[in-house]
Amino acid sequence: MEATVIPLPLPALPEGWEAENNFKAIGKITQEGATQRTLEPVGPYFLAHARRARHKRTFSEDDR
Amino acid sequence: MSDSGAKSGPEPSERTTIGITFGNSNSSIAYLVDDKPEVIANEDGDRQIPTILSYVDGEEYYGQQAKNFLVRNPQNTVAYFRDFLGKEFKAIDPTHNHASSHPQESGETVSFTIKDKAGEEEAASTLAVSEVATRYLRRLVSAATEYLGKKVTSAVITIPTNFNDKQKAALVAAAAAADLEVLQLISEPVAAVLAYDARPEAKIEDKVIVVAELGGTRSDVAVVASRGGMYTVLATVHDYEFAGVALDKVLMDHFAKDFMKKNSGAADPRENARNLAKLRLEAEATKRALSLGANASFSVESLADGIDFASTINRLRYETIARAVFEGLNRLVESAVKKAGLDVLDVDEVILSGGTSHTPRIAANLGNIFPQKTRILAPATDVTAINPSELQARGAALQASLIQDYEAEDIDQSTHAAVTTVPHVANAIGVISLNEAGEEVFVPVVQPETAVPARRTVHVSAPNGGDVLIKVVEGNTHIKVTKPEPKVKEDESKAAKVEDADDSDEDDSDFSDEEEEEEKREKVWKIGSTLAEAALKGVKKGGKVEVSITVGSDLSVIVTAREVGGKGGVRGTLTSA
Ligand SMILES: Nc1ncnc2c1ncn2[C@@H]1O[C@H](COP(=O)(O)OP(=O)(O)OP(=O)(O)O)[C@@H](O)[C@H]1O
Ligand SMILES: [Mg+2]
Repeated sequence: MEATVIPLPLPALPEGWEAENNFKAIGKITQEGATQRTLEPVGPYFLAHARRARHKRTFSEDDR
Repeated sequence: MSDSGAKSGPEPSERTTIGITFGNSNSSIAYLVDDKPEVIANEDGDRQIPTILSYVDGEEYYGQQAKNFLVRNPQNTVAYFRDFLGKEFKAIDPTHNHASSHPQESGETVSFTIKDKAGEEEAASTLAVSEVATRYLRRLVSAATEYLGKKVTSAVITIPTNFNDKQKAALVAAAAAADLEVLQLISEPVAAVLAYDARPEAKIEDKVIVVAELGGTRSDVAVVASRGGMYTVLATVHDYEFAGVALDKVLMDHFAKDFMKKNSGAADPRENARNLAKLRLEAEATKRALSLGANASFSVESLADGIDFASTINRLRYETIARAVFEGLNRLVESAVKKAGLDVLDVDEVILSGGTSHTPRIAANLGNIFPQKTRILAPATDVTAINPSELQARGAALQASLIQDYEAEDIDQSTHAAVTTVPHVANAIGVISLNEAGEEVFVPVVQPETAVPARRTVHVSAPNGGDVLIKVVEGNTHIKVTKPEPKVKEDESKAAKVEDADDSDEDDSDFSDEEEEEEKREKVWKIGSTLAEAALKGVKKGGKVEVSITVGSDLSVIVTAREVGGKGGVRGTLTSA
């Protein structure tokens, strides 16, 4: 999928913000934050998904 | 991997594949020409082929020819049988079979008694519904084979979303008996979505689509989350009351009364089976003509008592007498949206599929229940709409071409629950941007109901450059309702009230003043809990930041950010809970 362009600007980095490698992990997605549902096994993008799932490949590995 | 003797379908290299939609009323066949799906006309020139078989003197007829025999040979004509496959007699609804061969109980299944052999002395045959389906499918396959000049071996067939395993197995078996390999059964609404998404100009976007599958004997609505070209059905509803035959009925009653009014003393054509069949066929033709023109004619030779009858009807009149059916369809669509836990404001597109979707009023009515920005994809509301009668067969043909090179076993594995059933994020995941007033707003990157693993990328502007904050948060929507300003009550002028035409004397709220002061409803994003913060330093003035969020199948999150066209950037991971 193409990247969506967002015209609204990012905020400036607050004064004194600091973190190792410039990244702070704060929260996580919990199991409750997701629902088991069934994808329709139809279309080219599903087939790509099935290929990745069956060969245990990631998106980046798939890109190569 | 070769698993000897599992399935005995043709080798992938030896397949000729088509897409089939097999309805209770009509069926269609399609195949791909230069990557473009085309619906094939059968030898009668029909692309919508009535799902009917008829036997006359041992000769088998199908499609439109069989449909015409509903007048002269109803007892040896089988119609409306698709939904009986894989069902017990007590579970079927025989309503639509009154005017043709009647379904009967036969063991675990349903059968029809038909005189399918020539000769007075030949006894009638009892045909199980599976045999009827096989014979009919054989005709479809042979029409496709003739058209393509190659023996068709395999197909993808569309089915309603509420087909159970028994019904699926019965359909696959009926096809196998017709020497047709079923590569896959796919659901009707998803076939319709695929037909649209496969158009060269289509952009793959995250959107919520309502597919209204409006046929002859049933209307099925599905709400589909379309996420990066993958589809998840969020809710479905089914209705057997408000569909094409209900509209036929409205016109049959109208013209029967019209006939009796103009021929005083003449019999009611609805009281004689043969006259009723004529009335029905012509009413349907008139109905179809009303989808195109503002007026349509109705004409039947010897409608009753040997009296020929010709009349006309205009679309406005039709829309008035059919209003109850149209309103039923509106309610059905609304109930599907509600069942999905969504609001009409969440719906980006409404795809109208099935023959009844040609009806302009139905499309216009749906346009009124959804917001302006929702695209209503029907011939009457969108010039780019695909013929609703062709969507399913096209989708099936597209899927058939995608999988025709796979071994049957590979197809089974890829469609297995281990691959298809996956977590879908409940909330959106996005970043914080600033609006014109400088306030923090949520910008969705990964939409709710996206299946994982998923990766989405956005480019966010950083007009001032410098050091920017990428704050990754969860978000969800709510509907904000703004009550209208209380306005000075105007005197309702009685004189302005126009008397309605004869049969709509009840107050029509659509025309009341209240409409203008309707409350304003809008969908707004709410910022939820923070997942991560990242800093990107030294962005150049007028730059753009590419933020990519990848959610793993274990719900872990990888965030990357870098300046578009720049080097380096940040990357961080959130482990799953
Ligand atoms: N142009 C048209 N305008 C209005 N109605 C139409 C038009 N063309 C076909 N129809 C109606 O569409 C219905 C058939 O729909 P469709 O071809 O999608 O069949 P189906 O899926 O087999 O139906 P079913 O719901 O019985 O399984 C019929 O009632 C037919 O009269
Ligand atoms: Mg249908």
